[in-house]
Amino acid sequence: MKHVGTIAGRELKSLFVSPVAYAVLTLFAVLAGFFFLSSVLQFTEYVIRLQQFQLLDQLRELNLNDQVIAPFLGVMSVVLLFVIPGITMSLFAAEKANGTDELLLTSPVTIWEIVLGKYLAAAAFVVILVAMVALFPGLLFIYGDPEVPKTAAGLLGLLLVGLAYTAIGAFASSLTRSQVIAFVLAFVLLLLLWMLSFLADLGAAGGTLGSANNLSAFLRYLSSSDHFEQLVKGLIDTTDLVYFAVLIGSFLLLAKAAVESVRWR
Amino acid sequence: MIAAKDLSKRYGDLVAVDHVSFDVAQGEVVGFLGPNGAGKTTTMRILTGFLPPTDGQAVIDGHDMFEDPLAARRSVGYLPESPPLYPEMDVEGYLAFVAKLKDVPRKEVREAVSRALERCGLADVRRRVIGALSKGFRQRVGLAQAIVHSPPVLILDEPTVGLDPTQIREIRGLIANLAAPKGGETQHTVILSTHILPEVEAICRRVILIHRGRKVVDSPLAELTQGGRSLEQVFAQHTARDLPLATASA
Repeated sequence: MKHVGTIAGRELKSLFVSPVAYAVLTLFAVLAGFFFLSSVLQFTEYVIRLQQFQLLDQLRELNLNDQVIAPFLGVMSVVLLFVIPGITMSLFAAEKANGTDELLLTSPVTIWEIVLGKYLAAAAFVVILVAMVALFPGLLFIYGDPEVPKTAAGLLGLLLVGLAYTAIGAFASSLTRSQVIAFVLAFVLLLLLWMLSFLADLGAAGGTLGSANNLSAFLRYLSSSDHFEQLVKGLIDTTDLVYFAVLIGSFLLLAKAAVESVRWR
Repeated sequence: MIAAKDLSKRYGDLVAVDHVSFDVAQGEVVGFLGPNGAGKTTTMRILTGFLPPTDGQAVIDGHDMFEDPLAARRSVGYLPESPPLYPEMDVEGYLAFVAKLKDVPRKEVREAVSRALERCGLADVRRRVIGALSKGFRQRVGLAQAIVHSPPVLILDEPTVGLDPTQIREIRGLIANLAAPKGGETQHTVILSTHILPEVEAICRRVILIHRGRKVVDSPLAELTQGGRSLEQVFAQHTARDLPLATASA
């Protein structure tokens, strides 16, 4: 496993030499600022309205975690759907287009080392993105008092969603030599994963039949959004952690198989 | 040093390499000839462990490529047909990366890199970004990555393709140097594929000719060109066989 660091280091350096990393960081920062501002403004407006109508009971129940941080993290998890394919698209596709896969695969390096090294580089970038998101709730601690553990659980949720999306993006990149195809494929896969919970809602609403409910419960389990929402609520449950671990593990396995498949042809 | 034992590679019905066997002894420089599509690149990819053969065995420096792939790959330096370069990296950083991939001990990486830079005449461009280099220099960087870990075996796939005459002469000089080094440096065993015949006459002492996946000639260059025959005539004789009759008689 000693080559993992070498491969990850090169990948990260290349990412930061290319304009893609900076475009992604800028886009992400602007979107995060915009959505944070809009949640804060909505919150203030709500508070003012409750004061106007003297709804003091409701006013007392309001808190920054549920009213500002949770919706903000929710929106950012959706932004990750199209930002992460931008980071992962080059991971394997660019190697094939450059012919450098021939260097990697004829070096005394195992395929796991290649896959893990590349995944870790992209994962490090996702950590930077989540740290950027964390700055905004951080501001709230100066002017208010959100709950620390709940905020941390929400950020952990966003990180896990990001890491899972990265594994899926890595898999998409391992299937093709075109970065554009890798991007589109990753985006479609992530969108499907995210939309599964809507399908589950449809099933639950339309089918009062028992079988439909089982199916929708299953779809709901597969979808990333429900597990994420649990964490945003501050509930750190092993079920959700295992879900993300299994998702990451299986897509890395698929990526490894795809890289190895050069040898089967 | 290099042993190909009955190598075959089939893609469905297409036979790319058909029972090819040969041995290359230490210090030999072998020219691997054949028309386009004869199976040269496939054979080289098998010898470097990039592709598995359908049948047969490749042994590099005593390590079987499929039973002990890591040790076998460590012993090979490989320059594919298009050099495997990262255009955004600088020459020095790239060579250091390759050295680490090839298991050069951390402490010796710097030294290995400067040795490779020196031998390939790259010292002046060590900090330049690869994407900004001319084609000739990129080819040299490709050669430098193949030798950076001082492997006993070098496999070069058309190392001079697409270069201008001056660059071709320089690269040939470099390769000749790798096989007959001045004191202290590793002596490499070299297989070099090409379809440029004068190149073979300039650097190789032995010729292996393959045609349609089969080995048709394997002998010292001196024997082939005995009696005033040119290498071109030998090449034509062994590869023109299945041209349409009209062309053959004309």
